[in-house]
Amino acid sequence: MELAWLIPVLSFIAFPIIVFWGKRLPGGGAPLAIGAIAAGFALFWVALLGFLAATPDTEHCLTDAATGTLACNFQRAWFNAGLPGLPDSVALSWGMTIDPLALAMLGMVTLVALMVQIYSLGYMKGDPHFGWYYACHALFAAAMLTLVLADSFLLLYVAWELVGACSYLLIGFWHERPAAREAAKKAFIVTRLGDVGLLLGILLLWREVGSFSMTAAFELAHSGEMSHGVATASSLLMLLGAMGKSAQFPFHVWLPDAMEGPTPVSALIHAATMVAAGVYLVARAFPIFQYSGDALMAVAIVGLVTALMASTIALTSTDLKRILAYSTISHLGLMMLSLGAGGYTAALFHLLAHGFSKALLFLGAGSVLHSTEQQDIRHMGGLRKAMPLTALLFSLGAMSLGGIPILAGFWSKDEVLSAVSHGLHPVFIVLALVTALLSALYMARAMFVVFFGPSPESEHHDHPVHDAPLAMAAPMVLLGVLAAGFGLISFNWPGSFGGIGSFLFYHEPEGFHFTWWLGILSTILAVAAFAFGYLVYVRKSLSLEGFRRSFAPAIRVVERKYYVDELYQWVVDRVVMVFSRFIALFDRAVVNDVLVNGPANSARRLGVAMRLHVTGHVYSYALVMALGAAALAILWWWRVA
Amino acid sequence: MQALDQAALFLIVLAPLAGSLLAMFMSRDRPKDAWYFAILVAAVTLALSIYIFVRYDYTAGGYQLSRSFGWLGAPLDINLSLGVDGISAPLVLLNGIILMGGVLIAQTIKHRTRDFFVLLLALGAGVFGVFIVRDLFFLFFFYELAVLPMYLLIGVWGSSTDFGTFLRTKEYGAMKLMLYLVAGSVLIWIGILALYLEAGQQGVSTFDMAKLSDLARDGGLDPTVQRWIFPLFMIGFGVLAGLWPFHTWSPDGHVAAPTSVSMLHAGVLMKLGAYGIIRVGMDLTPAGAEFWMPVLIGLGTVNVLYGAISAMSQGDLKYVIGYSSVSHMGYVLMGIATLHPIGVAGAVLQMFSHGIMTALFFVLVGAIYDRAHIRDSHILNGLFKRMGVVSFCFAIAGLASLGLPGFSGFIAEFMVFTGAFQSDVRLGFVPMALLAGGLGVVGAAITAVYILRLLARTFFGEADRQWAHLTDASPVEKGVAGAFVLILVVVGVWPEPFLRVINVSVATLLEAF
Repeated sequence: MELAWLIPVLSFIAFPIIVFWGKRLPGGGAPLAIGAIAAGFALFWVALLGFLAATPDTEHCLTDAATGTLACNFQRAWFNAGLPGLPDSVALSWGMTIDPLALAMLGMVTLVALMVQIYSLGYMKGDPHFGWYYACHALFAAAMLTLVLADSFLLLYVAWELVGACSYLLIGFWHERPAAREAAKKAFIVTRLGDVGLLLGILLLWREVGSFSMTAAFELAHSGEMSHGVATASSLLMLLGAMGKSAQFPFHVWLPDAMEGPTPVSALIHAATMVAAGVYLVARAFPIFQYSGDALMAVAIVGLVTALMASTIALTSTDLKRILAYSTISHLGLMMLSLGAGGYTAALFHLLAHGFSKALLFLGAGSVLHSTEQQDIRHMGGLRKAMPLTALLFSLGAMSLGGIPILAGFWSKDEVLSAVSHGLHPVFIVLALVTALLSALYMARAMFVVFFGPSPESEHHDHPVHDAPLAMAAPMVLLGVLAAGFGLISFNWPGSFGGIGSFLFYHEPEGFHFTWWLGILSTILAVAAFAFGYLVYVRKSLSLEGFRRSFAPAIRVVERKYYVDELYQWVVDRVVMVFSRFIALFDRAVVNDVLVNGPANSARRLGVAMRLHVTGHVYSYALVMALGAAALAILWWWRVA
Repeated sequence: MQALDQAALFLIVLAPLAGSLLAMFMSRDRPKDAWYFAILVAAVTLALSIYIFVRYDYTAGGYQLSRSFGWLGAPLDINLSLGVDGISAPLVLLNGIILMGGVLIAQTIKHRTRDFFVLLLALGAGVFGVFIVRDLFFLFFFYELAVLPMYLLIGVWGSSTDFGTFLRTKEYGAMKLMLYLVAGSVLIWIGILALYLEAGQQGVSTFDMAKLSDLARDGGLDPTVQRWIFPLFMIGFGVLAGLWPFHTWSPDGHVAAPTSVSMLHAGVLMKLGAYGIIRVGMDLTPAGAEFWMPVLIGLGTVNVLYGAISAMSQGDLKYVIGYSSVSHMGYVLMGIATLHPIGVAGAVLQMFSHGIMTALFFVLVGAIYDRAHIRDSHILNGLFKRMGVVSFCFAIAGLASLGLPGFSGFIAEFMVFTGAFQSDVRLGFVPMALLAGGLGVVGAAITAVYILRLLARTFFGEADRQWAHLTDASPVEKGVAGAFVLILVVVGVWPEPFLRVINVSVATLLEAF
């Protein structure tokens, strides 16, 4: 199990090698990156088997009181802040915790990263910066894997920032395009704003706990010795970080723009893994959030608002990748909502199922873009004939996320809904169901318009549309299998495997529970949504024109994404930059010209004025001397008298 | 080994000083020779500085490699006492590295090359002197030696810039820098004399810092007097550290200075100020320091935010980096003022880290200016296409500057925040340290804003045709920039070799509080 160290380290070693010697390596360094992550995936199985065999008596392992699960911890010294041995010092380490949560993330991240890197062989073929692309992927994988293994908040923050930097580099991969450049900048700055919260939250916990160890903080919260105010404040601050990374309202603005990056990047970073880090953080710090209680409510509200907002925008967007991006935001919102409702297992199950399905969808979309060089769904249609495999797999992913039964998304979404219905006010479950319906609707729209609807007649392609080549098709097929069948791990297989709830849980192992009324209701909603989409976009037997006309103003607001981007732009231009210019001017005009040059100029003017007295005439000197002597004489006479 | 240990500290001041004097006798017509000679001298000092840093035994702590040469006996008691501790050892190393880099980069100086190196080496000798000397008189002497050459270096080899609404001539920059730093040193000198007289009252007439420190620790110095003396040091040295509102000499100085002078200016000269506050202010007048720390931490916070916000709307690359230095030096002041072992150690590491990072920035800005003859980030664009290595390194320096983990700046700033969050420096019932730490984190986010805007605007994207002639960095520039990047990464990933040295002396320093 201790070999899990190597999982991030291998990719980390691959990074500089590809950067410096990539051009000389076979395949531009890509095989090295892929080999590193493949080895990581293999080591994940080693770690998983090791963990399943471990008991609380195994060395390094014990049952964590705060989470109730078995956790194994391994440490390597890093550096000492403060002199070791003194009360104020803290020794920091590269430490990893292997517990069910970490393993679940580890498996998903290594698998999706491996698939996406193989897919990129086909997708990025011939790109002039092919090596740099793979170098960034390797660094990203290393950082993301460190993030899920980290046992201290410091290490988590380190990895957290590094994945953000990789995201920046990869969104801006085609930096000649102004939109990509702006999107990269925006993504980094917006998430960085959230990270201010994360770092402050971590520091606040440090102030309370006196260490950066997660276990120590969770123990303190679990035992009730942590101040309630600190728990609430620090978890709300950490939530800000999670909202930035997971693109929750109002920090969601960067994610749709991030679609300017290469599509495989969107699949890996901006759908399956990095954006899920926010959800992971809340799940990881769950003992503190739960102890606070109020913070958990905030998580639920943020999640619900985000889910609703994003799913409505997804319905109006006409850009295939942006539809998927808003769908990602919406599903991340659902995961947050589930966590807020106390549905820990449900949220993580949905995280995994969504990860596979959404990666598949993005790779499918990438296959479409690769071949049609078109991103606007208004210019697409009927691609089913030209690319049958992509059509099949994309539909599978869409229906999985739309909640069509027996596909992965159906089971996980049902778990989420079930958690919400148990843990929160009825308003939440009603709105969650609305979100579920919307999510099926926009998925149906994308799928039917692109692959099954009539092809737009004006379109003609320079080269014939083709299906995905093998390097791209193979990963999609594997993800397709997962998107279809992953839900089966939720079942309580008789005897052998207790279902995901008995592996990945918080305090209480959960059997598989299916809330019948919710399952049936959500199935009806999903099927209805897909049928509706079929009628509107394929058969064209229903028209939305009337609806569009009667709700035109409302639709415009949604189409303009609720004007959130405009608001940000206004704040940056009219508040931040104006203030900055004011300070810069103040610095020059007041601090420099008045306070610094002022005394200097006065000194010079004084000098100029005084100079006039130095006339060089002996008579005037004699006169002044005489006057002085007289004055002294008078003074002396006065004193004596 | 024994012999070198005895002489190392003496040699590290002597080598550049002698180099400076010898260079005066070199031929004026053979500038290349002067450069080679300066490289040789800088290489010797770099080797010595590495030796001193490695030789410092962190398990023993205290002052090491100490020597004392008697000069004036009682009642003045002025001796050339030398010694390094864990706070000065990294700074000695820093100066060795920056001096070497600065000399190499000065390859492009074509005008009066010999004289340039005479002054540059003298400056280097002064900085080494301040870091290793243990006597207030000589500290002041070396301090002035470090500051005075700056005037000529900027005034003669600098450049004047017209910003449209205002003009910054090199003479203005040089004069302002000079007057400012001399004004600061006047305050320092008053402080030193006051300390000498007050210690004399207690029967310890000396300029020896070790004796004065012992006196203060034994409670021999009246706290009220200390409270009067400390602000003299805080402001006097603070001027050099870019303490707000006495910072304006620094960005203007950068704009006027040639590249290698900017490197030394931001890389080590500003560190002298912060070092002085620690070594003279905190160590010799601890009670005064304790009293004034809430003010210093407040000013440091202003530095961080004010510098970052000003940098955001600057167009000239040197102004951006200059204000960014003001902002980053704020973290140093903040860390010092936490009076917490982690915070103060973070401040010392930040001095090292910022020194390397800013020097890297100036190498790159200099490379751009040499080729494009302009530094306006609104006019320059798409540099990545033309100057790949320069842009790549600039991006790395930028990421380091916004506190990205993996670079030394992160460790340092993180430690400053960590210290601030556990420090109980407060003003009345306002928890100043906590506030400073919180705002410091915000400052790092503002840094991200201006760095990323700059990168997007100036370095990435399509290049205008007017920049088609720009060539990438020369081998020397590549070497220097590459070495700096490597240092930033190595210290960022494995800071322990620095921290174990720093920690031990910071712990000793803070025993007085």
